Amino acid sequence: MSQTTDPKTTGPDVSHSSGEASGAKTSAEPRRAGLPSPPGRRIPIATWITLGIGAAFLWAALGLEVSASDLFGLPSKLFNQLQAFFPPDAEYGQTKVLPAALESLQIAWIGTIIGAFLSLPLAFLAARNLAPRTGVIFKTFLAAVRTMPEILLAIYFVPIVGLGAFAGALAVGIHSIGTVGKLSSEVIESMDTRPLEAIRAAGGGRLAELRYGVLPQVLPEILALWLYRFEINLRASAVLGVVGAGGLGGVLLNTLRYRRFEEAGAVLVVTIVAVLLVDMISGAIRRRLTES
Amino acid sequence: MSLPQRPGAAARRLRLVTIVAAVVAITWWAARGIEMSLGQLVRNIPQARRLLNDSWPPDWSFLSRLLDPFLETVQIAILGSTVGVLVALPVAVLAARPIAPRRWIYLIDRNFMNILRTLPDLFWAMLFASAVGFGPFAGAIALSVFSVAVVSKLLSESIESIDLRLLEAVEASGGTWFERVRYGVMPQVLPQYVSYALYMFELNIRASVVLGLVGAGGIGVVLNVQLRTFNYSRVAVILIAIFAFVLIIERVSEAARRRLV
Repeated sequence: MSQTTDPKTTGPDVSHSSGEASGAKTSAEPRRAGLPSPPGRRIPIATWITLGIGAAFLWAALGLEVSASDLFGLPSKLFNQLQAFFPPDAEYGQTKVLPAALESLQIAWIGTIIGAFLSLPLAFLAARNLAPRTGVIFKTFLAAVRTMPEILLAIYFVPIVGLGAFAGALAVGIHSIGTVGKLSSEVIESMDTRPLEAIRAAGGGRLAELRYGVLPQVLPEILALWLYRFEINLRASAVLGVVGAGGLGGVLLNTLRYRRFEEAGAVLVVTIVAVLLVDMISGAIRRRLTES
Repeated sequence: MSLPQRPGAAARRLRLVTIVAAVVAITWWAARGIEMSLGQLVRNIPQARRLLNDSWPPDWSFLSRLLDPFLETVQIAILGSTVGVLVALPVAVLAARPIAPRRWIYLIDRNFMNILRTLPDLFWAMLFASAVGFGPFAGAIALSVFSVAVVSKLLSESIESIDLRLLEAVEASGGTWFERVRYGVMPQVLPQYVSYALYMFELNIRASVVLGLVGAGGIGVVLNVQLRTFNYSRVAVILIAIFAFVLIIERVSEAARRRLV
């Protein structure tokens, strides 16, 4: 039931905002006086979509029992919460949060390395142009791998390898195989195959094709993908502490649980700064990679 | 072999070696930091086997009690997506260079967007659960903010790459700022906006299944309870159900995206 409503509801979000004026108006009164509406399409699709989204929104709001007092009380509650974070506890930030941030960075890095190395061969096997026979199978495999969010994988890794960052790195790494593998195979599929023909015509073997035909074309883009994944993995690894897999998330959860908000403020400041820094550095490298 | 070296080859090789060395060094540092060891993996094989034994066979009878939590999950994702995608529109417009009304507004909004984007979904969930109390309402607000962060960034980039001539045409015929947005910008980015909205819904569905781990509603709440009591045959059922659920939503959303865009 939910499945059938969502597509209608989601797609439309979009036309909701921009199309709401035009959609609603056209159904009520013709926009231009002289023109008849086109035959067979009296109610424009935008109206249906808007109605669908509206209905789904209502169903969701009623289902969750969001009350008016919830909404009106929201601004003051948020303001109070925000105020409680100030001033962030600098000492706690240095002694507890910074090590946790480093650990998150390490989890993200190892996760990315695992994902990058294991996804590369899979990406070649999943690329339709290089592996017409195995493509579908490996594509499906990659899709299945990335369906599981990191944190659910971590739930199983924590009891196996113990509480801590290693479990987190494994979870991040395995999820990354799915996402990086898919994107890399798409990069490979969009490459120019003519150099391959040239190498084959010159008598090059399969290995020469890969080395001189494929890699030079796809490597910069795939490296950029890895860096991009590293940025995402940092956010993912920050969360994993919630299930005991190391990093910033566990610290934030604890400070909030015991309502030590100034310490929580320190966690937030460190997280924001660390992620901004990594995004900046990684983004700069990516830009250089894809430009050349 | 007898060919002369290409100019700059030595410098390029040196750079490559430096980069590889740096990557290896960082990896070594990180691996030590998280106490990564293959030995530990091997030693824990019995542990893993016990966990699998506990999980299998899954407790299928538990499945019937998952329907309501899943509905709640969908509702959280719908609320978060609709509110977030709508709010993202003005945020994106004000942060797009061709249409931002003032430079200082552009700068403030752009930095606001960047900071919003740094925090992951579950951080927002923890913060809002702390501010408004545990429950799906906190989850819905968290996903709204998360959606604003993702969609506004994507959309403002789309707006920055539009055809500026249309915008100039509206301006030349005396259009107000709102008219410029409405007729000069929106028609050009509408297809992308639709597809970002669907993409966001998929992301939110994924995010909404784990919100409950920090007390922000949905199927994750049930998962958390079963994890706390080490009831792994039920954990397995929940994970299988989540897996199927996410796959189905993704397929439907993908089909919708293909039809709409």
